[in-house]
Amino acid sequence: MINRIIRYTGIYVILMLLQIFVLNNIQFSGYVNPYIYILFILLLPVETAGWIVLIVSFFAGLILDLFTNTPGMHAGASAGAGFIRPYILRAISPRDGYKPDSEPSMIIYGFRWFLVYSLAIVTVHHLLLFYLEVFSLAGFLRTFLRVILSTVFSVTFIILAEYFRGVVRK
Amino acid sequence: MRNLLQILAKYHRLILFILLEGVAISLIVNSNNYHNTQVLKSVRKATIAWEGIVTDVRNYFRIRKINEDLQAENTTLKNILLKYKNLPDSVLFLITDTASESIYEFYPATVVNNSVNRQKNYFTINRGKKHGVDVNMAVVSPWGVAGIIVASSDNFSVVMPVINIDFKLSSKIKSNDYFGSLTWDGRNCNYALLNDIPQHVTLNTGDTVVTTGYSSIFPGNIMVGIISEFEKSGSDFYRIRVRLATEFRRLTYVNIIKNRNRAEQVILERGFQ
Repeated sequence: MINRIIRYTGIYVILMLLQIFVLNNIQFSGYVNPYIYILFILLLPVETAGWIVLIVSFFAGLILDLFTNTPGMHAGASAGAGFIRPYILRAISPRDGYKPDSEPSMIIYGFRWFLVYSLAIVTVHHLLLFYLEVFSLAGFLRTFLRVILSTVFSVTFIILAEYFRGVVRK
Repeated sequence: MRNLLQILAKYHRLILFILLEGVAISLIVNSNNYHNTQVLKSVRKATIAWEGIVTDVRNYFRIRKINEDLQAENTTLKNILLKYKNLPDSVLFLITDTASESIYEFYPATVVNNSVNRQKNYFTINRGKKHGVDVNMAVVSPWGVAGIIVASSDNFSVVMPVINIDFKLSSKIKSNDYFGSLTWDGRNCNYALLNDIPQHVTLNTGDTVVTTGYSSIFPGNIMVGIISEFEKSGSDFYRIRVRLATEFRRLTYVNIIKNRNRAEQVILERGFQ
């Protein structure tokens, strides 16, 4: 248990550093901001209780908010991702169920499964994030375009990070 | 009672989710003047120290470019100075302010935190109440208009730049003095829109857009940008895209402009609004 907490804190710190120092400085044409820190929410162990996932995701977002001057935006979006996660895990569970005590990663469940999983959660997260940011439905389509483009980029970065983790593990 | 507990047990995740979203949304709503959120205020101190380090590193890598910009600004200032040196004394007297001192004060400041990739961008500068800086003062970069101070603590101030969708600035076209309001559409941090210019006005791409000085915040004739394209829209007004003079991506040194007579002007005008 303690080991696990240390491990996840480590993952969180690394993802945060990547997010703050690298990805927050990326901006293509005003539409695209990739967010890699969602990987932390994706990777929480499968059997983690729902309410723990929710609270952990909320604070994961809130800490990023402090560094980006956006109180509440990432916290709200991450809580949404944490909320939807159990439903998605249930909807796309592998045929013989999840391995006990495992994290839902690409290394264990393969590329195609992970692509669907991350795409679903990242989309929910980005929908919440970008609409919370403008906080109105004015310019609905333009915000929607930002959601789609950013989702593609975020998922790409998340999958790259997972590949990297797999390579390092070998 | 037992039913209630059962419902709570059954829907605890949903209830918790709604609660957390409530907290998040209240944070966002308060963040329009977010500096008031006490929870974040204390933690901000820690992250601001951190941002200071990050900014130091960034500035080191940008130092060459910053130098060039400062040199360029120096040259312009020297040229302006030269113009005044060559004037006869009598003229010098004529153009001085009747209050015998300028109504504008300048304070230099450094940007310690900046964002360009959001809809509501803000940046933080390292001057605050301690240095005589307060809300509703203008901030200009070496290139032109940068933003307006919306909050200040003892040591820092938060600036709403032109590239914030809530920003509005009264600006005019320098060549013909027609004025309108400048806003940002949230797309590209290099371009803004100039609204309310009627269609009978003759425009050219490359025309300079400057501030009007009507707002009591910005002095007049400060560079805003140049017209990059314009088209006639369905209404009576042009749709004008302005290439902003200020490069927000590498904003580092700025000047704060304080209007000493602002309070007086605001109080006088209040009776008529």
